[in-house]
Order: sequence, then C-alpha cells, then structure tokens
Amino acid sequence: MTAPVVFADRITKRFAGHTAVRSLSLTVPGGGLYGLLGPNGAGKTTTIRMLLNILTPDEGRVALFGSEGTGRDLSERIGYLPEERGLYPKMKVLDQLAFLGEAKGLSRWDARKRAKSWLERLGLGEWTLRKVSDLSKGMQQKVQFAGALQHEPELVILDEPFSGLDPVNSQVMRDVVVDVARSGRTVLFSTHIMEHAEKMCDGVVIIARGEKVVDGPLARIKREFGKSHVALVFSRNQVAAERVLADRNLVAHADDAGASAEVELATGAEPDSLLRALVEADVGLSRFEVVEPSLQSIFIAKVGDAAQPAMRQEA
Amino acid sequence: MNKILAVIRREFIERVRTKSFLLGTFLLPLMIGLFGYLPHLLLTRETNTRGVVVINAVEGDAADRVAEGVVKALLASRVGEGELARSRFTVTLLPADGRMEELRDSIIRTIGRRQGPPGAPDGVLILTEASVTEGKVSYLGSNVTSIGDMKVLGGVLGPVLSEERLLRANADSAILRASMIKLVLDANKVTEGRLTGQDTESSFALAYGVSLIMYITLLLYGIQVMTAVVEEKSNRIVEVLISSLTPFQLLLGKIIGVGAVGLVQLGIWGASSFYLTSMFGSRASGMENLAAEGTARSFTMPEVPVELVGVVLLFFLLGFFLYSALYAAIGSMCTTTQEAQQANTPVTMMIAVGMISIFGLINEPSGTMARVMTFIPFFTPIVMPVRYAIAPMGALEVLLAALDVVLSLLAVTWLAGRIYRVGILSYGKKPSVKELWGWVRTR
Repeated sequence: MTAPVVFADRITKRFAGHTAVRSLSLTVPGGGLYGLLGPNGAGKTTTIRMLLNILTPDEGRVALFGSEGTGRDLSERIGYLPEERGLYPKMKVLDQLAFLGEAKGLSRWDARKRAKSWLERLGLGEWTLRKVSDLSKGMQQKVQFAGALQHEPELVILDEPFSGLDPVNSQVMRDVVVDVARSGRTVLFSTHIMEHAEKMCDGVVIIARGEKVVDGPLARIKREFGKSHVALVFSRNQVAAERVLADRNLVAHADDAGASAEVELATGAEPDSLLRALVEADVGLSRFEVVEPSLQSIFIAKVGDAAQPAMRQEA
Repeated sequence: MNKILAVIRREFIERVRTKSFLLGTFLLPLMIGLFGYLPHLLLTRETNTRGVVVINAVEGDAADRVAEGVVKALLASRVGEGELARSRFTVTLLPADGRMEELRDSIIRTIGRRQGPPGAPDGVLILTEASVTEGKVSYLGSNVTSIGDMKVLGGVLGPVLSEERLLRANADSAILRASMIKLVLDANKVTEGRLTGQDTESSFALAYGVSLIMYITLLLYGIQVMTAVVEEKSNRIVEVLISSLTPFQLLLGKIIGVGAVGLVQLGIWGASSFYLTSMFGSRASGMENLAAEGTARSFTMPEVPVELVGVVLLFFLLGFFLYSALYAAIGSMCTTTQEAQQANTPVTMMIAVGMISIFGLINEPSGTMARVMTFIPFFTPIVMPVRYAIAPMGALEVLLAALDVVLSLLAVTWLAGRIYRVGILSYGKKPSVKELWGWVRTR
C-alpha cells in the first residue's frame, strides 16, 4: 500500500495558556477531497499550519508523501491557501503570481507562463498588468487561488477556501477544486459549511476543541453513525409530536425543525416503535424514512458530545 | 537559494519602481546642490557695489594720511569672480571741516530710502581722532547685516589705524613693515606620520559627513525593512510565503533587497555629488564666500582616501544588517505601521546615541570614550568610520571591531529570526518581554 499523502501522528500544539490541538492523528489517503471540519476555534488552522510546518508541533510528528521532509522542503509539491490570505496591493497581478510561483521553486520564465495561463482560465486575462489593488475582492481571491494551484501541486491544502465568496464565484472555485481532485491529486480543505463538505468530500475529519472527534471516508462515517436515523415530516399536532420525540427510550437525539425533523433512534429502539408512537399521536405523517444521517446532524451530534468528558476519553 | 533571489529581486524591483524612490534618488541631490549653490549665488553675484561715504574728522597733519589709507584699502577689496570681479565699495571722501554731525545727519537722511536720490550711499563711515587713539570707528549704514561687508570693513580699518598709531609713535619704518605682517595659521592634519593636506575645517567636515551618512542610511533603510515586514503582515501575504520559504530565507531576502536599493541610491547620490562638486568646484559651498574673506585660503572639499571609503562601506553593510535584523524583529511584533513606528524607538535611540557621541570623538578620536564605544557593537558602525576619518587606525583594530560586529550580528540575527518566525503569524496585542522570551524559546 502506498504511503498516505498526509499523515499526522498524535500532534499537539500549545500556546500560552491553552492547548490548541491535542494529540491529533490524521491520515489522508492519496487522491480525492478530504474535509477538515470543526466549529470556530476548534484548531483547524493550527492543524493545517502544523501539517505544513509553518508551526512546529510540540509533540508528535507529521509526514507528507511518506517522506521525512517538512512541508517547506516539499513546498514544490504542495499548494496552500491560508485562511488569512492577502496579496501585495501595489504589485501587478502577473508579477505577483509569478513571484508566488518562484517562491514555490518554479523558474522565473515558467512561473510567468503558468501565471498567464491561469489568469486566462479564471477570466482575468485583461487584468494581468493591473495593480492588485485595482481588483475587486472576488478577483483577488481568484488570483490567490491561482497562486495556490499554478505549480500543479500533488497536495492542495485550502483553509476555508469558500468563505467570503459570492455564490457564483464560490461555484467557480468549487469546480476548480473538484477538477484538481479528479485529476488524481489530493485536496485537503477546512470548512464549517457542512453542505460543501457533504457534496464534495470523499473523507472527512471532524475536530472540536483541538481533538479529533471522528474521521474516515464519509460513507463509512455515515454508515457507522446512521443505522438508526429517521427523517420525518408531519403536518399537525406538533405538541404531541414533540412529546414523542422527547421520549428518551425511543429517540436519542432530534434535529427538530418544526414540521420536519431528523432523529437519531435511542440504542435498542426500532424504527417500527417510533412509527407506531407517531401514528398513535396522530401527527399526520407525510414522510417517514430511515436515512443516512446528514453530515450536519453528525457534526452537531459529535461536536455537541465533545463537550462531555466521556466523549473526550473516547476521542 | 533561487527562492532567496526571487525575494531579493521582488523587493528590489518593487522598491525601485516606486515614485518615492525616484523622487528621493534624483530630487535630493538636486535639492542639496541647489541649497549649496543658491547662497553662493546670492552672496556673490547678487552683491551690488556698496557706496560708502567716509567723513574724515581726524585732526592734525595726519588727517589726510589716515583717510587716504582707508579709502585705498576699501577700494582694493574685490567681490565676485572672473569677469564679474569688481570693487566691493565705491568711496566718497568728505573732509569734516568741523561740521561732522551736520554732514553725518544729512547723509543719513539719504540712506536706505525706498526712493532715494540716484547714487545715494549705503553707509557712512566716520573717522575721528578717537579712531586713531582709541580704535573707535562708527559706521552707519543699511548694509550692517552683511557679514561680508562688516568683516571687510573691520579687516581694512584695523591695519590702517595701527599703522597710523605706530607712525605717530615715530616707529622706524622697518619695525612698521614688520608689525604689519598678517598672521596666517596654516593648520594641517597629520595622520600616520604624514601630511594629509586637510585643514581643521575639512577634516571636521569629512568626519561629520561620514557620521551623517551612516546615521541617515542606517535609519532610513532600517526603517524601510521594518515597514516592509509590517506591511507583509498586515497584507496577510506572509502566511502564503512562509509555507514555501523559511522565515530566514524571507528575512534575508528582504534585508538584502532593501540593502541593494540602499546601495544603488547611495551610489547615485555619491556619483551626483561628485559630479556637482567637480562642476562647481569648491564654490558649491556658500560658506566659502565668507571664509575666503577672513582667511588666506578658501575651504576645500576634503579629499576622501580610498581606505576610508572601504571602511565606510564595510561598516555600513555590517551596521545595516545588524540594525535591519532588529528593525525586522520589531516589525514582526507589530500589526500596524503606526504601532511599529512607536515600537522602534529603542533601536532608533541607539543609532542616535552613536551619532551624538561623534562630537566627543571628533575632539578626542583616540580617547577612552572612543575606544570603549568602538567595541559596543551597536555603536561601532557609526563610531568606527568617524574615527577612521579623523585618525586612521591599524588594520588589526579595524578587523577586531568588524569581528565584534559580526559576532553580535550573528547573535542578533538569531534572536531576531526567532522573534520574526513567531511574530509574523501573531496578530493583535504587542507581546510583553516575557512573551517575547517565550517566542524565542518556542520550537
């Protein structure tokens, strides 16, 4: 078996007074899209910075491409778009991209050529000789994207890549990212937008409070989590419905949205018993379906649990 | 290595392209040239010939002798150069004939009026018996603020009156001539047992000039490094860069890039000032005009020995690296340029102390203070070239001083690098000293 593209072994990072990441292990197989999910302050950015050797872990070890070299030694093979991204405002767009390419080890000539073709591809061909400060924010983000991808890295790490983009540009960027993954390269990106992760990712890792909550291929996570998930839509008698959903013998957790709900059955409870209870409560069921849980519900369930001491030990 | 080159090239090209660089590089020498040459123009070309009325109220046989001597000496004073050279004064001699006050007042009424009669004098000089006996002469005129005119008047009157006094004491003509010989103090600097051809003024000018250049350049380019670091931080581009480059590569590239811009700028300034001085010669200094009247020789541009240029360059580079590393560390601690401008005070103070100390050094270039300051690495880059300019020391001492700076450069760079590495990714509040120490010790 080939070495995983990203491998982190019990990495820990402490800052003055608090532990940002605690004994986090992570394996990202080659090819495809991998999501790093977590609420704000979970330690996503710190984790990414450690993977790239921008920060050195206090404990533990990181290996990229199965090699001993650090993220910086291997930076030719890695594209990185940080969450806090910026450009030199007074530089010309083309010069800027070419410089970023050179920093990645491309020759000057090659860097300029690639920069040009990427700017064309992203619809910025007319702007190559303009100053960065003349560009709109959306255009600047495209330039930053190009900067992370132009040297055709095998591993692309994106920290919150779609935040602050309008829906159209967000879609353009997602298409680009999916293209990269389809070409057999690996994309690791952090996000807190579950719909993006659910639609795009092959695998995810969810972290909370600096610790890993769950990770693996998305399908497996859902399978393990979601044997007993039921999606409901009901049309009347909401109070009675809520009473049923509050029964801890039947329902472990309910993601209640008024006239619809996604519920997780209690251990040992059968979907049949829930159905019977709901029919008896006369809620006017229009949907009752045993489903795979959405990433959103997994996320909320897991991250909510992470606060519990029992869960912390498990993680 | 190629990555460092890319950083250097970017830093250099982007800087050289800015308007402020072009303005600073080409306008500054022009301004200096202008400011140097303008006073000269004003003091020479624009000088009108002054009309002076001499009222002769000296009594006795000697009356005419004194007055004629004064008139002759006044007429001999020249102003301007080359074809424009002319007498500084036109002189009208009036005997007082006992009506001194009346004459004086009538002349004063014509002086300094906006629409005076044509040919009105600029001043009136009154010679009385007291002028000979007590040395009292009064001059009433519109040009008393002209330092040149007053200096000449004094210079001309003194010997004439002294001569008269000696004559009245029946001095022998040989004694008379002997006593009239002017004093010319020809101070000439000796270094390493040989004459340098520099007088007091030019060796002071050389040392002062060298220290000023060191002071300005260290401050100017050090602050530029600091600003560049803060800007990279506030633009948030630094994290992308730091994923591909080590903090050290980035820091080194930045410092070398700014340093290269500095050398180019200094080169252009140096070349243009050389050109300007060779074009106008020593006339470029307006002060020369005044000095020329008082002393036998005019101020000459000091000759700059080649070894001195070498020493200045060596210590400029060492000092630049030393201070740039400090400024970069300061920059990396701050989030905004304004914050950095306040935080850099301790570093700027060190350069200023080095600069201030040179006045002591010029007086006593080989004294205890000079020797001590030479080996305090933060002062060495300014102190050493100044000392060398006044009194060159042996190669050993220069090398020791350089070594001293190199060693502290290594220590400072290491420390600054550690701070920079953490600082560029830290936003918000400036760190306390304790936190800084934590940064230095982080893995």
